[in-house]
Parts: sequence; C-alpha cells; structure tokens
Amino acid sequence: MSVSGWEQLLFIVAVTAVAAPLLGRYLAAVFRDGGYGAPGDRVFLPVERLVYRTLGVDPESSWTWRAYALAVLALGLVSTLLLYAILRLQGVLPGNPTHAPGMPPLLSFNTAISFITGTNWQAYEGETQASYLSDTVGLVVAQFTAAGVGLAVALAVVRGIAGKARTVGNFWRDFTRSLVRVFVPLSIIGALVMVSQGAVQNLSGFRTATTLAGGTQQIPGGLVASMEAIKLLGTNGGSYYGAGGAHPFENPTGFTNLFDLLLVIVLPFAIIFVGHTVISMQAELHGNQLLPTSVSQVASNVNPGGNMEGKETRFGPEGSALMTVGTMGTTAGATDSALDSYTPVGGTGAFVAILLGEVSPGGDGGGLYSILVLALLAVFVAGLMVGRTPEFLGKKIRATQMKLVLAYVLAIPVTVLVLGSISLVISPGTSSILNPGLHGLTEVTYAFASVANNNGSAFAGLAANTPWYDTTLGLAMLIGRFAPIVLGLAIAGSLAGARVHARTRATLDTAGPTFVAFLLGVIVIVGGLIYFPMLILGPIGERIIG
Amino acid sequence: MRSVIFGRHLVASMVMLLVVTLVLGFGYPLVVTGLSQLFFHKQANGSLVYRGGKLIGSALLGQEFTDSKGNPLPQYFQPRPSDAGTGYDGASSGASNLGPSNPLLVGFVAGVNTVGLNGQPSATNPFATAADPACVPTDPQGNPVTSPAPGQKYTKTADGSYVCDPDTIPERAIAYRAFNGMAANAPVPVDAVTASGSGLDPDISMQNALDQAPRVARARHLPVEQVITLVHRDTQGREWGFLGEPTVNVLQINLVLDGLA
Repeated sequence: MSVSGWEQLLFIVAVTAVAAPLLGRYLAAVFRDGGYGAPGDRVFLPVERLVYRTLGVDPESSWTWRAYALAVLALGLVSTLLLYAILRLQGVLPGNPTHAPGMPPLLSFNTAISFITGTNWQAYEGETQASYLSDTVGLVVAQFTAAGVGLAVALAVVRGIAGKARTVGNFWRDFTRSLVRVFVPLSIIGALVMVSQGAVQNLSGFRTATTLAGGTQQIPGGLVASMEAIKLLGTNGGSYYGAGGAHPFENPTGFTNLFDLLLVIVLPFAIIFVGHTVISMQAELHGNQLLPTSVSQVASNVNPGGNMEGKETRFGPEGSALMTVGTMGTTAGATDSALDSYTPVGGTGAFVAILLGEVSPGGDGGGLYSILVLALLAVFVAGLMVGRTPEFLGKKIRATQMKLVLAYVLAIPVTVLVLGSISLVISPGTSSILNPGLHGLTEVTYAFASVANNNGSAFAGLAANTPWYDTTLGLAMLIGRFAPIVLGLAIAGSLAGARVHARTRATLDTAGPTFVAFLLGVIVIVGGLIYFPMLILGPIGERIIG
Repeated sequence: MRSVIFGRHLVASMVMLLVVTLVLGFGYPLVVTGLSQLFFHKQANGSLVYRGGKLIGSALLGQEFTDSKGNPLPQYFQPRPSDAGTGYDGASSGASNLGPSNPLLVGFVAGVNTVGLNGQPSATNPFATAADPACVPTDPQGNPVTSPAPGQKYTKTADGSYVCDPDTIPERAIAYRAFNGMAANAPVPVDAVTASGSGLDPDISMQNALDQAPRVARARHLPVEQVITLVHRDTQGREWGFLGEPTVNVLQINLVLDGLA
C-alpha cells in the first residue's frame, strides 16, 4: 500500500479511537437507568416528557422481553404500512415535482421493508421512481426509526444479559431517548458538515446550465445532505464502538465485567477490520491485470493508478476501498465507488465484511447484540472443551439459551444460501444477471448476503426490480432484521433475573486474551466457513481463472 | 392478554409514527435547509459556477467538452469517460458496473475470456487487429458482439480487419494516444480510460492533464510550457496533505484557459 493509503487508514482508526470513548461516555449517561442528570437534560427532557404524554405511556415502567419485542414489532408493522402507502400513492400526493408515478405493489413492498429494516437496498431508480415527499418524509423517517430501534434493542439485550432485574427496559423510553439525544442532534451536525463540504441542501429542482462547450447540463438539487446524514449515522451512530456506552449500569460488577470484555474485543475486531481493509486497498491499488501494460496503473503523485473503473479521481483506488470496506463492516453499505467493477480480491474484502455480518464492527446497535450472542456461543463451546460449566458474567448458560443462540446464528446464513441457491437455478433468478460467468454468481449471492445482513449495498450488475427479486429480497430483509431482534431479546429475557454466581477458580475467564482469541475463532468459523463454498465459486474462482 | 398488550402497542406506535413523521419528516429537513442556506449558501445550492452572469455548471460535477456531433474539442482539457446517461448527464448518475474481466470493459484478453467465431472458448482472439489485440468486434448496427455465433455479421474496415467496440479500455487508450499525438504504446494514465463511479467525476489526474497539455497548447496557439505551468498551478493537492488523491478540476482549468484568450 502507498504511504498516503496507510495514512488514511491510520487516520480513521485514530479518530475512531478518540471519538468512541467520548461518544460512549455520552451514551452511557443518556441510557443509565433512571438516568436523569444526563448532559442536555434542560433541553431534551421537556421534549421527551411531551412525547411520553402524547403517547400516553409511562416511561418509568420496565417490561419483560416479550412486551419489548411486541412493541418493536408493532412499530415495525405500522411504519411499514405507512411507508408502503406513501410509495403507492406518491403519484397523487403533493411534493412530487418530478411527476414520479405511484410505485407498483411489489416494488413498494420491497422498498418499504428495505428502509424499515435499515437495509436501504434500493431496487428503484432514485431519480425517476421516488417523489420528493417519499424521499424526505417517507424514507428519512424510516431511517430514523430503524436507527432508534437498533439502539433500543441493543440496550434491552445488554440489560437482560448483564443486569439483575427480570425486565429488560421500556421500549418507548429507549426509542425516544435514542432519537432525541443521539440521532437527531448528530444528524443535524453531520448534515451541516456535509453541506459545508459541498453536499446539496435546497428546495429547488433541476437547474439548467449552458456548458463551456455550448451544450446543456441538468444540475440536480434537493434535500440531499439531511438524508445522507441519517443514512450514514443511522447504521453507525449507536454502533459497536458506542457499545462501551450502551450499558445501563444496573449492576456494577456485571457491567464492569462486560465493559472489560468489550474493551478486549475492540482490539481484535479492529484487527480483523484493518486486515481485510488493507487487502482490499492493496488489491485495488494493484489494478486490473487484464488491462494492456500500456495503460499505466502504477500509482504516483501525478496518477492515482490502480483499478479506476467505477472510481472517482479524488478518492483514488485506496480511498475508495477504505470507504467501501468500512461501510460494509458497519452494515451501512454506502459505497463511493462501483463495487461490480472491483477486482476479485478487492471485492472479496467487502464481501467478507458483509458475511461476518453485524460483528466487524457492526451496525446501529446490531453490532453489540450480535457480539454478545456469539460470545455466549463461544463460552458454551469453550466450556464443553475444558469441562467447565459455561457461564457468562456469572450467569449459567443452559440448553434454553443455546437453542436460541443456534437459531440466531443460523437464521441469516440459511436465508442467504437457500434463497440465493434457488435464484441461481430458476430462470426468474438467472435472467437478471448482467456480467457473465462466476462474476454473475457473485452478483446474486452478494445481493442476498447484503440484504439479509441489513447492509443494502449492491454488486449493481443485477436487475433487481423483478417480481422474483423484489419478493425474495424483501423476505430476506425481514428475516435478517427481525429474527435477530426477537431471538436476541428472547436470549436476554431468558437470562434476565437469572442467579449471578460468584467467580470461583472453576469459572472460565471471559475477559482474558485466551477467550478473546477463542471468540475470534468461533466468529470466523461461524461467519466464514458457512459461506466458503459460495466464496470459492464466486470471487475466489474468478481470481484463479483471471 | 397478549393481544391486549399488542393492541396497546399498536396504538402507541401509530401516535409515535405521527410524531416522528411531523418532527423528522418535515421539521428536520427544513431546519437543516434553513441553517445550510444561512451559513453555507454557495455549497447548499450546488457550488454553481457562473460566467458573465450565466450559469455554466457546477464545480463538483464534470461536464462534456464536445462539439455538436459529440467529438471532443481539442482546445479543452477532456474529462474521464462517463456512464451517466449518454455522458455527464446530471439527471442520471451512474457507473458502468462492468466486472473486471468483462470483455465490454477489458476487451477479449487471450486465454482469459476469448471466444472463437463459433462462440466456444478459444485460446486466442480471432478478432484481434494490428492495433488492438483485445478487439471486440461490432455488428452492422455498431453494437459490440461478445457472444459470437456462426452466421453473425460484423463491420469491417476497407483492409478487411474488424471494426472494434470503441468503449473498451484498450480502444480508449488507442484513441487517447491518437487524440493527444502520443506514440503507439506510450503509457496512458488509467483514469483517462476508465469511467468513474458517479459518471460525473469533475476531476482528472495530474498525469492525465500533463498528457493533454501539448494538444491543448497546439489548439490554442499557446506555448506548451504555459499550459503545463497552468496544470501545476491548478492541481489540488490531497486534502490535509493525505486524504484522497491530487486532482485537476477540468471545468476550472478550462475556464482559466478561456480567460487567457
């Protein structure tokens, strides 16, 4: 990698290392139970009280995991229906200067689910198929909702696994506070920073310019920055790195324990992340080996070099790959370059980041609860190997928990592999593929892996707005989002109020480096090996043949 | 009992949704718009560029410098190839999305993706021409043919060689050399022959600008040193010294050139 490539990567890591504890401390203060006396109470508390009164809910009551999960599902159901209605009716609703017609039923179904689940898979054409009202009201509200739900569920899971109470918290309180105190203020700041750098934020439609050469060019306008901000923050904001702060601090020992664990695993996860980011950056800088040697792909101060197809000059091959793998790892899936044109190895970096799912480092709260579940699995396996009772934070892990953990771990891979395989053998599936050969296989499997992991990025060479893909990808998004949420809450509920055993010499140490290394092994085996045949047939095969 | 709870959640959900729709769907974007227009007026409206009071484009969007027939104008620096609409269409941004071994992108590379006249895999490229060993042939309508079949008709030149699809990278490199008066097989900077992710890349690399400088100078009857000095002056370094890549903004440097005349 080039010097500037390393500098960019280290810069990101350093900024994260500095920002994460600050954000974490703020989140901790906000979500501490009975947490009055958090920074900004004077501004935020009246707003929250107004919301609770309007809703007619008691913010102080704490619920069982079932009540919590039902509230999440109720909000999901209602918001999906509203978004579906907006998309179907956008043709006759106001706020439609571009005259986008109402979306067809299957496409509306797919799009509504995509945004409510935080996947943001876009099977529609942004410019022509969505009205301004759909964009700024329907989709932006869904992005905020998805972000708030993700963070709220993470809080509930942590309370169940680490806390002493039998309840997991109050969904309306968690949801309201995460929006009022985290996502809305950060989005406003983020949007303004983006505008200052040139992002567009205005109410005018297209402007027509007369170019220097005498032609015309349409210059688009719109409310872009406000949507971009929550799009990025929503999958990132309350993420893995904020995990240190997502603790309700009910039980000092439990939380100290957990906090230690999280601190130790931050490092290995950072290493995994840096690992496949470096590989991807290196591959893209190396360039496309099929080009004639007289096309100069050698990077220098005057030539970005590398594989520039589908990449912008100002980002260059390394900056593009860094952004891509970074957003894949956080399940945001917002790329700054055309993934389909990545080299096989460079594209694999992004693919692996998606397949590892919510754990490297993971999305809006999802990162936190995924890691906790995998930690339970690792504890169980380690316990069996050394013949000790599996315990996590002093709570015994039994068959009940393990059944739920296995269902959690298998839900997404089974969805991806079954739906992906069917799509590869029936003609409604195969007729949408753009690129020939093994690359085409990657396009299909990538699409399912991407939506089931709530990522939403695409190897774009797949014509995805067909009845088959609208339906199956929509289904995959629903499973990929709500199965982990319900199962995660169920695991938390089954551990909530369980007796906390004192540490003895026989207790497996879950904060030490041995356990962390073991956990990494479990994650790689669970996340990686399940998909290995698919990777061999797709990008790895393409690399060998090319 | 549980259905009662779910019903209560549904009602609360509807109220919550109404609240967030009003506050976040309408309030939030309008607040951001107001603040943006107040503090970052120029950027919020698209970093528009005016000349003589007329809107000529945006500093952040590339544009075409071609004549009415679509031929590149030699007196202007040329941007990268574009897949946004028919080229630099601000209303339909997009990339080629062609995979790294797709013949439409890299041409027919011997031993990798080459096919014979019968459409079966072959070790060599039967369509190779003297100038372009990776040539992808075209049909009489000018469309590239990537899966040949017996009986397929091809366009050929007077000397009997195939007419190649002009949009593959090897063909773009040949055209770039010819346009800029470079020797056959002289190295071509990669950004000059690849399309960007947005199709609206406003920048080219410094090497790309330097390779175009002699042609621009000739077309404008300027000393080539003067144009090269201009390229050096107009190169934007990496942000903060290390973020991203050094670039030359095509619209900006062409505006400066027009200002010299």
